[in-house]
Amino acid sequence: MRTLMGGLLGATTLAAGLSGAPALAEDITITMAAPDWPPTRFMQEYADQTYTSPSGANVKLEIDFIPWPSFYERVAASLTSGEQKYQMIVTDSQWLGAFVEGGYYLNLTDRIKADPELTAIMQDLHPALVSAYSTYPHRTRAQLEEAGEVPAPGVNYYGFPQFPDTYVTYYREDIFCHEGEMADFEAKYGTNLPCTYEDWQDTDWTKWGQIGEFFQRKKGDMLAGETLDDDFYGIAYQAGKGYDFSTMQINAFIWQQGGDIWDETKAPEAQAEGVVNSDVAVAAFEEYLSYLQYMPPVAQTGQMDIFVIQDLYMQGKVGAIIDWVGLGEPILDPDASKVHDKSAFAPAPGTRQADGSIDRTGNIGGQPFVLTTWNSDEIVDEALNIVKWWLSPETQLEAVKNGGQSGRMSVMADPQYNDLRPWNRAHVEMIDWQKDVWHIPEFFEMLTQQQEEFDKAITGQISAKEALDAVAEFQQELLEDIGMIE
Amino acid sequence: MADAANGRGGFGAWLLDPKRRGALLVTPAITILFVMNIFPLLWSFGLSFFNYKASSLRVPSFRGLSNYERVLTDDKVWERFQTTAIIVGSSVILQLIIGFLLALMFAKAFPMRRIVLMLVLTPMMLSFVSVGVFFKLFYEPTFGVVSYLLSNFSDERFVVMGSPAGAIAGIVIADAWMWSPFVMLLVLAGLVSVPKYLYEAAEIDRASAWRRFWTITFPYIKSLLLLAVLFRTIETFKLFDIVYIITEGGPGSSTETIAVYLYRTAFQFFQTSQSSALAYIVLFIVVVMTNLYLYTVNRRAEEVN
Repeated sequence: MRTLMGGLLGATTLAAGLSGAPALAEDITITMAAPDWPPTRFMQEYADQTYTSPSGANVKLEIDFIPWPSFYERVAASLTSGEQKYQMIVTDSQWLGAFVEGGYYLNLTDRIKADPELTAIMQDLHPALVSAYSTYPHRTRAQLEEAGEVPAPGVNYYGFPQFPDTYVTYYREDIFCHEGEMADFEAKYGTNLPCTYEDWQDTDWTKWGQIGEFFQRKKGDMLAGETLDDDFYGIAYQAGKGYDFSTMQINAFIWQQGGDIWDETKAPEAQAEGVVNSDVAVAAFEEYLSYLQYMPPVAQTGQMDIFVIQDLYMQGKVGAIIDWVGLGEPILDPDASKVHDKSAFAPAPGTRQADGSIDRTGNIGGQPFVLTTWNSDEIVDEALNIVKWWLSPETQLEAVKNGGQSGRMSVMADPQYNDLRPWNRAHVEMIDWQKDVWHIPEFFEMLTQQQEEFDKAITGQISAKEALDAVAEFQQELLEDIGMIE
Repeated sequence: MADAANGRGGFGAWLLDPKRRGALLVTPAITILFVMNIFPLLWSFGLSFFNYKASSLRVPSFRGLSNYERVLTDDKVWERFQTTAIIVGSSVILQLIIGFLLALMFAKAFPMRRIVLMLVLTPMMLSFVSVGVFFKLFYEPTFGVVSYLLSNFSDERFVVMGSPAGAIAGIVIADAWMWSPFVMLLVLAGLVSVPKYLYEAAEIDRASAWRRFWTITFPYIKSLLLLAVLFRTIETFKLFDIVYIITEGGPGSSTETIAVYLYRTAFQFFQTSQSSALAYIVLFIVVVMTNLYLYTVNRRAEEVN
């Protein structure tokens, strides 16, 4: 139908040209698959209000909003069915391998090289984002920085940041800055209860555990001078079996303590066994597990995902949580959140190093957007015009004002940036610590098996070592099978 | 020409000829059946002999029976079959007991019977997703109703879904809540069909309640009970939605049924050929179960005759 319409429009344009009348601008619709949440909703609203293509064509961005829980399945089903519905896709970075190898995501390297505007954007993007969101085969930030040039020679680029996301701490100022609670905490642990942003900058996992223990209160107990009408919990972070809901947090513990996951950038030499289940990784996972006892009891079921954490926090049942910046906006909504006027934001805790500094390395969140391979040159040009529009400093700042985040370093360096949303300062600080999980086509098998083993440990069925041994064995076998490990 | 103008000639008339009208009427149904069912069935059967990933545009390569061999030697598959068997066994037994008791209750007249009956039938009419979400929230240990009620008796929050046994029990209860009314309907149909004069005769003979049940009631509902077992076994064997929503197969993989595993293999891992082979193995098991049932029922019918 679209082809027929295009043909009719083409014929009309040709006829108008021959008759000497002014040519009609062509109608082009770019359909993009995207998860249904504020950062993508804003993109649609703002595009409707402001976007005009520099080519003069009448281009419309039409976002197909898909609920988060079914996002992967819907996108995967669309791609593999051959319906060719989408010209652009917001994709989790881990999917790059599967869908690049499948032949669905377009390699944009030559177009970036040939277009000074796109090259300038790539040069201005935070290197952690370029590494995670764009490169396949995956290149680490260190590898990209070593190359120096952008685009780096021999590197293939596929995506641009639609919404860069990081872990930050959400906390209740009313209880963390309560004088009585602060004094009690100091008396009990000999250290301060973090109240200001600067206090949280000095908060490591040990203190995180102390906070959890300290604020675990029963119905009828006092909290910040008031009697509790329900049980209260100090802390919460991801411990969910679904998708990547424990991996993202566990990876942070492992990396911060000097351990590693299987490193795809070192294939085929990189091994899974001995790395994934190293003593350091086991100790890190044990530490992660040790704080679950201070979290809401849903942690014992292995179902504490990012939305459950957010919900419990908004109900006022938890003192501090670690969650993605992208989930911050509802916290400030008086209609949805009991703590909308009590919340503050800070960097996520990390592991204290020998020199006293804190390592906050974490697994990057957020999503890039990519182009699909079946687009005509004209559609690719128009889709890239949308990329340029979205990543222009003006649009980026507007997106940030509406709950989004920018991946452009020049935008993040803007003096007004940190004040646009209350979590921005923490986000800017955290983004420098981000790295990503593997991008290979078999990522979902690895992730699912890993999530299952982590879940068994989270629910107390097996130990941290047993879980990591099982993960390492599975990954070694799978990666050898597919020839990624020699 | 004149006939055509009157609608009595040409292609239209040929097509609407009474001899062909029957075929014409069933053609759309057969076409839809072929396109939606038979073709995918044959296509996936073919794929089970090839090496093919739906996430890749690569051409499939022939692998013979190796996908079947791989599936049948996979420990994970057997684990999932065991989990499925436990859930099917527990759930069907529970549904039979509850459904039977409900049917006995509704076989008698009591005030507001119609309204209560309608309420009892409601779960069966809800979508799987709704039931899954209801029970997930019921079991939520921080604010869920189960935990809330039990918190009156204990200081600790009751965590239903924290252990494999608790999670399986949670799923079985949700499934039984949804489908016991179905068993009840079938049994009730049997109960109301028992002629009253048989009970009157039994009363004259002063037969005990158990005797009356065993010799009069049970023969009337036996075949319907078997039908309920068949339907519920096959349906529970394919249980997916409730499991996926309530536990996602967890804790660990302790509630992952074969249907959930099949879904993961096909649509998350994109092992299309292997998942096709597994799907055919599941289909084979269902066919065998159905035939066993039919064999049992027919044998009993022959014995009665």
